[in-house]
Amino acid sequence: MFRQIYMLYGLLILATVGYAQYNGWSLDTMNQLKNVPKSVRDNPGSYRSVYSGYHHYTGGK
Amino acid sequence: MNPQPPPVGGPKPRVSGLNCPNCGGSITLRALGQASSVVCEGCGSILDAKDPKLQIIQTFHRIVSSDPPLIPLGTRGKIRGTDYEVIGFERRTITVDLVEYHWHEYILFNPYKGFRYLTEYQGHWNDISICKELPSMSSSFNISPRVNYLGESYQHFQSADANTDFVLGEFPWQVRVGERASVTDYVHPPRVLSGEKMAGEVTWSIGEYIPGRDVWKAFNLPGSPPAAIGVYENEPSPFRANLKAVWIGFAALAFGLLVMMIGFDVFAMNSSVFQGAYRFTSGYPRAEASFVTNTFELGGRPSNVEVTTSTDLQNNWIYLNYALINQDTGQAWDFGREVSFYSGYDSDGSWTEGSRNAAIVVPSVPPGQYYLRIEPEADTVHPPVTYTVEVRRDVPVSSFYGIGFLALLIPAILITWRSASFEKSRWSESDHPHSPIIPEGS
Repeated sequence: MFRQIYMLYGLLILATVGYAQYNGWSLDTMNQLKNVPKSVRDNPGSYRSVYSGYHHYTGGK
Repeated sequence: MNPQPPPVGGPKPRVSGLNCPNCGGSITLRALGQASSVVCEGCGSILDAKDPKLQIIQTFHRIVSSDPPLIPLGTRGKIRGTDYEVIGFERRTITVDLVEYHWHEYILFNPYKGFRYLTEYQGHWNDISICKELPSMSSSFNISPRVNYLGESYQHFQSADANTDFVLGEFPWQVRVGERASVTDYVHPPRVLSGEKMAGEVTWSIGEYIPGRDVWKAFNLPGSPPAAIGVYENEPSPFRANLKAVWIGFAALAFGLLVMMIGFDVFAMNSSVFQGAYRFTSGYPRAEASFVTNTFELGGRPSNVEVTTSTDLQNNWIYLNYALINQDTGQAWDFGREVSFYSGYDSDGSWTEGSRNAAIVVPSVPPGQYYLRIEPEADTVHPPVTYTVEVRRDVPVSSFYGIGFLALLIPAILITWRSASFEKSRWSESDHPHSPIIPEGS
């Protein structure tokens, strides 16, 4: 019984990996936005990234 | 002369009623002519069943057993398709390191098939019969002695002196309370080969593990059997049968994963759709650092986009805020990535830390016209940084295969560990507790 469950589980893993690859999934984190105004193209400074204002880690030194 | 066929309706055991010469209590002989001794249920005297006058062989002060037979004497049941009646019961004890271990033996009788035995120890049952031929000592002596029987190799498990301390019913030998036998067990789960040496004579028997529920079903006993405690010497491992199949399955699935990886690597678009080279000088007062790239087309089905940053950093860092923006729909993916690279030399030699390159994968981006908004950040005191940005469409992500491989591997390791733990529990009760785990059936 366990081997059947394992094979089913394994095939599910393979299917998930294949689906993720085909649909271009990613493990990287990012913020998704909608309706960014077209004016950004002419005025890039008008866009405010949620990641701006970065503080570089200096290792406590 | 041909033997007479058995009468229709099955054999009827010969039952005889006699009286105990010690206490006068009635004695029932169920295997008349076959049993050698019988125990009076009234006074516990052991009587010679071959003697018409039931001569007393032994009298013993019978203590009412705290663990009476789980299968009452006289109960009939079917073992391996043959009807048997329980005619005798004995309790035997071995002492190891001043600790007493008891087990129970039930004597079963069929007028045509003769005697058979059931043993029970802490809920573990064995169906025992006398060997038809002598086992042979194995010539291959590696970790512990082995014997061969009917083409199977049995490994030595335990040797001990067993003492009979309680008897009830009939026995095919002249049983005595207090009789001692040197017992040696060899195992090949689910079978056990036992040699009993008594008065210079060795009797070999072969047993097969039988679940308690099967015994209950065979004898139509009420309730449920006592739960089995621990792992018994010849108990078949519930994991062993799955172990090989799971590893074969793992190999097949891992191969499938490899084929999938090669397939996606070969058939992935993995095409460069944009490249740009830039230089960033941080300063104060600073002008607006953000800018946008030219538009580029992402074709095909919705798939990922990899944005790679390559720099000429040396003991420096740069942080890049990116936004991948669809020119037509306004849909955007906002992300950032630091790139830093440091190197030097100390008493241990040269060292490096970080990387001059970084990549980030944007998931499931629909086709369309896109551009990047880039906003670099860096320390004001550092020199200018030159960097290039490349955008690739539909790239294979190897980390998924790593995760998939681990997800396949973990259950296989888990069942291997469970199997090894089971064998360790089995052998911890043997004379070879520190032996390497011997695979079952080897």
